[in-house]
Amino acid sequence: MLVKSICRSILRPRLGLKLSPLRGLHTSKNWEASDSALSPALLTRARLLAAEHTKLAERLGESFDAKTAKRAGELAPVANILKEWVNANDSIVELNSLLTDPNTDAELRSLATEDLESSRDALPSISDRLKKALIPRHPFADLPCLLEIRPGAGGDEAGLFAFEMLRMYVAFCSRRGLRPTILKQDTEVGPSEDRLSEAVIEIQANGAYDILRTESGVHRVQRVPATETKGRTHTSAVSVMVLPSFPEDTSEMDNALNFEDPSSDYYIDPQEVRVEKMRAGGAGGQHVNKTESAIRLTHIPTNTVVSMQDERSQQANRRKAWQVLRAKLAEARQEAREQELMQLRRGILGGVAKMGRGDKIRTYNFGQSRCTDHRTGITIHNLDGILDGGDGLETVMDSVRTWMADSEVEAMVAEDMANAKSK
Amino acid sequence: MICIYIYISLSLLASTGGISWHQRSSTTTRIPMMPRIPFSVIIKAQRENHLLPILLKECRTIDSARNELRWLRERAVRDSQSLSSKTGWRSRLRSMCQMRSRGYPLQYILGDQPFGHLEILCRRGVLIPRPETESYTYQAAKLVRQMARGCNDKSESPNQARPLRVIDLCTGTGCISLLLHALLAPHFQKLEIVAVDISPTALGLAQENLKHNLQMGQLASSAGTDIHFHCADVLRYGCNNSVPSIESILQIQLPNFGASDTSPPVQESGCDLLISNPPYISQTEFRNGTTARSVRRFEPKLALVPPHSGSGVEDCMPEDIFYHRILTLAFKLRAKLTVLECGDSHQASRVVALHNRLASTESGQFSAEVWPSRERDLAENGFHATDGSRCVIIQALQ
Repeated sequence: MLVKSICRSILRPRLGLKLSPLRGLHTSKNWEASDSALSPALLTRARLLAAEHTKLAERLGESFDAKTAKRAGELAPVANILKEWVNANDSIVELNSLLTDPNTDAELRSLATEDLESSRDALPSISDRLKKALIPRHPFADLPCLLEIRPGAGGDEAGLFAFEMLRMYVAFCSRRGLRPTILKQDTEVGPSEDRLSEAVIEIQANGAYDILRTESGVHRVQRVPATETKGRTHTSAVSVMVLPSFPEDTSEMDNALNFEDPSSDYYIDPQEVRVEKMRAGGAGGQHVNKTESAIRLTHIPTNTVVSMQDERSQQANRRKAWQVLRAKLAEARQEAREQELMQLRRGILGGVAKMGRGDKIRTYNFGQSRCTDHRTGITIHNLDGILDGGDGLETVMDSVRTWMADSEVEAMVAEDMANAKSK
Repeated sequence: MICIYIYISLSLLASTGGISWHQRSSTTTRIPMMPRIPFSVIIKAQRENHLLPILLKECRTIDSARNELRWLRERAVRDSQSLSSKTGWRSRLRSMCQMRSRGYPLQYILGDQPFGHLEILCRRGVLIPRPETESYTYQAAKLVRQMARGCNDKSESPNQARPLRVIDLCTGTGCISLLLHALLAPHFQKLEIVAVDISPTALGLAQENLKHNLQMGQLASSAGTDIHFHCADVLRYGCNNSVPSIESILQIQLPNFGASDTSPPVQESGCDLLISNPPYISQTEFRNGTTARSVRRFEPKLALVPPHSGSGVEDCMPEDIFYHRILTLAFKLRAKLTVLECGDSHQASRVVALHNRLASTESGQFSAEVWPSRERDLAENGFHATDGSRCVIIQALQ
């Protein structure tokens, strides 16, 4: 019975979100506030992790080991917040007993009431933080990233908007001090230079993947294009992909992400990659002086093709092409793994919202000067500011990040409970 | 207005770039076709950027023209910022594009060319490094490392008795020597590279390149003392004129060079790698259109076409005289590995044959092969299956 009611309390906001997508953000906010009590499953998980942390800390006291230290470092926040949570609860219990005790004098009683109130106020935020700390970090969270922009349906207009999106992300990154570099910018043949056919930006800051991963998906634009003569509004789409960028120097990386280690999930067998440089016929060597330095990599098993021609140096083109290929394959593999996990969870939850790369995630409507994110339902009415990579975009991204964390927690709780039930 | 522009650029392209249909159908000899650029492509280019059709004349494809325009624009903007020139970057870019459309090499306009991870400065009067040469240099470095590993396994003495010795003939910009140093320095404690060229202009630029790449941190600081540039004539035997012969230089550089075969310490003399990208274009190929207009007009003929041989060497074609000379030197130096760039696979086969002829009178076993010839090597290094440059790799077998 208890389990059932908790279940319902968790599922309710999800239903709410489905019924009124525009209020989604508020619903989830409300949910966070109302659900200050932690589900037993989460609490159990937190206690397990805290216990592990204590054990590791003891072991570290005896002898230092980089691996143990790393794990302990990861667990430390959970352990600390759990401690805070336990303390807060203890003090509430204590204060309650003080209040119920008939021997307590009036002055002490009023003090206790005040303390109790403040403790009770603090508890939800502590629970919230604990929940966040419990979410497993994305495997690529600490990595720099590549952001790939490609126009989708909508012809010229999609290319034009893709170019504007490129500018938006470059501006956003510069504003946040993330130093974007454009790895590849292919423009379409047309009357102007601002029709993108593909672009890849590299954001070298560590953790950039975590900041930008809210942006993966299909972005829709609704406006009267510059090319439209009859004043009709067009809808076109631009797809954005955020890919992890693996550092060149693999020595400092942990094993799971070391793409040169054959046991890593992200290892690419060089035998499976076909490397092609431009193969022009006719005379070569001293006879001619060709300036092309294009290079093309094909990962044969998945037929993933990356070509690069932007740099004058073939070496540089090759390095960049490998970087993009690694990023694409890693993302695809991670996606496949998540998909698998989703399949498992779907069995438990009966449909968890998971936005894949094919899903429409956001609409930029020029007529109404608004930007709506379909995952959270947030709408911002300052489209120009958003397209300049301003605070509006930041707000939207923050809301999506919260949404992602919430869905993650929901799924986790449901999974834990299903596991508990089956036991 | 635009129409007029297109018309002008079109007529320019047709008049200088393309070859007329009549000519094309009537010729049977190996004159490379410079296909006329389709009208639609020119219009496309014109719509995209008014400078593109100008570049298209030399680049021939829109992708290539687009890339060159971007590189030129980047340089023009950078120059106008740093040099505080009176003219803005736009007019600078325009004049750059016009130079380029006359066939002036991009590398001379920009002043450099990437070679491996190095940046090689390029200037009029010195041959521009080619991507094929880059591939040969990588392959040579790979083979040298393999050889060293094989030796170490046998003798079990990782400490080198003498430095790894590399001789680079006709070095030009010095690109091969510099890249070899960058590739080999991490693997060999002691390294000695002797680079030779006949042209003082080339040697001056090669020195500059050494300094430039040291400054950029692309070369280990030891490169400054490991690499020696010398002015010498590879073809001439005796010492006449002001240019010394290659022998006299090697006598100074290498102890025991030229001593008879009976001298026991082979370890002391000799060299590990003899590498060269000598002039190899025949007089005919220089004129008949095989050699691109841009190369013919703006790159030094000295670096491209071997001189008419008046002396001695008669058993090979005039364009192969450098190989004859270098192969003879290779035997004298007891070069463990010899890598020679050739113009095409025919020339490469001729060089292999020449080597076999010369080797028959020498003691020792050699393997000589044309590289790249396997499908995978060809594809990975960007070589056409039949056309284009090749190199000959000769290994002395122990």
